[in-house]
Amino acid sequence: MQGGGATFPNPIYQQWASDFGRQHPDVRIEYVGKGSGAGIGGLIDKTLDFAGSDAPLNDEELAKARRTGGDVVQIPSVAGAVVLAYNLRDLRGELKLSGPVVADIFLGRITQWNDPAIKSLNPHLVLPDIPICAVHRSEGSGTNFVFTSYLCTQSDEFQTQVNFGKTVRWPIGEGAQGNPGVTQALEETPGAIGYIELNFAIDNNIPVALMQNESGEFVKASPATASAAGEAALVDMDRYKTLTVRLWARPGPNVYPISCFTYLMCYRDLGYLRDRQRAQAIVDFFWYAIHDGQDVATELAYAPLGQGVRQRVQQELDTITFNGQPLHHQP
Amino acid sequence: MTATVSPSSAGPMLRRGRSGEDVLLRVAVTGGALAILGMLATLVLVLFVAALPSMRRFGPAFLFSSEWRPNALPVLKLDGHGHTIRDPRTAMKVVDHYRAPAFGAGASLFGTVATSTWALLLAVPLSLGAALFLVRIAPVWLVPFVSFLIEFLAAIPSIAYGLWGMFVLGPWMGGPARWVRVLGMQLPAGIESRIGALAIHVPGLRWICTTSVGGKTVLVPPTGRDIFVAGIILGIMIVPIITAISRDVLRSVPREQMEGTIALGATWWQSCREMIFYCRSALFGAILLGLARAAGETMAVLMVMGNTAAVPTSPFMAGTTLSATLAGEFPEAATSDLQRGALMEVALILLVMSLVFNIVARYLVIGKWQPSAATAH
Repeated sequence: MQGGGATFPNPIYQQWASDFGRQHPDVRIEYVGKGSGAGIGGLIDKTLDFAGSDAPLNDEELAKARRTGGDVVQIPSVAGAVVLAYNLRDLRGELKLSGPVVADIFLGRITQWNDPAIKSLNPHLVLPDIPICAVHRSEGSGTNFVFTSYLCTQSDEFQTQVNFGKTVRWPIGEGAQGNPGVTQALEETPGAIGYIELNFAIDNNIPVALMQNESGEFVKASPATASAAGEAALVDMDRYKTLTVRLWARPGPNVYPISCFTYLMCYRDLGYLRDRQRAQAIVDFFWYAIHDGQDVATELAYAPLGQGVRQRVQQELDTITFNGQPLHHQP
Repeated sequence: MTATVSPSSAGPMLRRGRSGEDVLLRVAVTGGALAILGMLATLVLVLFVAALPSMRRFGPAFLFSSEWRPNALPVLKLDGHGHTIRDPRTAMKVVDHYRAPAFGAGASLFGTVATSTWALLLAVPLSLGAALFLVRIAPVWLVPFVSFLIEFLAAIPSIAYGLWGMFVLGPWMGGPARWVRVLGMQLPAGIESRIGALAIHVPGLRWICTTSVGGKTVLVPPTGRDIFVAGIILGIMIVPIITAISRDVLRSVPREQMEGTIALGATWWQSCREMIFYCRSALFGAILLGLARAAGETMAVLMVMGNTAAVPTSPFMAGTTLSATLAGEFPEAATSDLQRGALMEVALILLVMSLVFNIVARYLVIGKWQPSAATAH
């Protein structure tokens, strides 16, 4: 089975593929992390059997996929978080930020670290009088999608001037390539702020800001607080009958506000594969991902799916068919 | 009788054999040459077809617009008092309509021109000086050694220059908030910060270290990943190629010509000037070849440029180039025809630009300047 797409979940997908392969010696799962867009493209032109993406399919992509292979099943596999990392060496204590302030920084409206808006969130910190250098991802990425989507909920001005997407037009700041590029830029530049994925920040021990969530609480990003955001999104899953709901800007205790799902996707009817066993293998792999697979998530600094989300993903997996016949998971 | 073969019967046989091989070789080499032409034609055709959606939408304005915005922008619905309206059901802001994505190569073109110009400003005096040194001053035993070093520099992969720029030159140039003590004075640590600290006091030079954000003028934080640094890296990268070609060009100036100037009593300076003047168009060709390399360079630029699709107003601001835009955005552009088209159009511009540079340069170096034809690169 050949899959590919998002790079954010690449480490955990590799782990799952090798663990799943050990349980099922007759199946070989390959996943190539080359970007969400490439994954979706591969699914649409059927060069990939399944795809990984940080952003659900948009209307244009969904329409294209419907033309080539019918409806698409999109299931959350793990949750993650986007964190704000900064370089302020002399800061004593943890920096606290809020959505509107971060939006203003990336819009170029807040340009100094000792701006009153940042000061009022951090009354106990001595903030230096140096310019803020905002660093963003230069290439298209799912991280961009999540971060800009969150900021759109926080600031009207951000929504009308930048909006959300995998690549957007940033009014100010500089671009760096990938999580490593942003981290490198942050380390080299005093006064810099940038956004990276939570697992990257944990692995590299980079200081990150506490973010104020919709309930007014300042929350530190962690697998637990990102999972909590997933459970907080159940309301919308049930209301709109879909698994592709936003995780960002969710209210609730201990809910980190810039959380996200990453998705695994395949066609709802796998008849085009012609081989029932291959179709079954996809369903089994997805099943494995949301059950045993979740146990390794925290270890790899991903947020496991909560009980409620898993239950809904199972229901969704049961709708996958092979030429109209259901493909239930066989333990 | 059978042992002796008359020359008259062997001759035609030999010729027949040779003509068979001739035909084969002729077909093979012609085929090879045509295949190369075919590849170029296919390349242009494929790029052109893929660029059509963007060409149809934006027309020639694509070249001048600096707006590169892959996503649609919403215009929010306002109530009578100018406030946004929220959908009572979803609590989301109500969107009136969307402004469609827009693409223009203006910012990339500007970045390419700015970095290439800056690179040429650094590289041309250095390269011509080095070439003149090799041809006229260097002792005979030193020439092969220096020539080897220059050719070695040309062979270093561009990503190595990029890494050096990112990890060594960039941090050395940038660094806004660190201060160091030099000879008892407190100075900002980075070169750019020092230039900025001086420029801010000179009325005409303030633009070097400031920019305007939302109508107010703010200091640019020098990061070491900007047009200034990218130009330096490119300058270093094109020194070897310009030096090597202009060395060969200068070397091919007829000896009588130079002896003539000296016989006429020209000073060393005058005779060098005469020498450069004599082969000026070929030297210009050498510079153009360097420019072609600078304008097409991708990896090194991508790593030190800051990659932002906007026209920077200060050399210490991030920008982008045609090739960096392509490399940075292509992986995620697979599903949007318009964005893909715009990137293909950028590729087409890049291809045409380097074709023109190369054709003109080669004409100047090889075509018009016959004596150097054998040695020019």
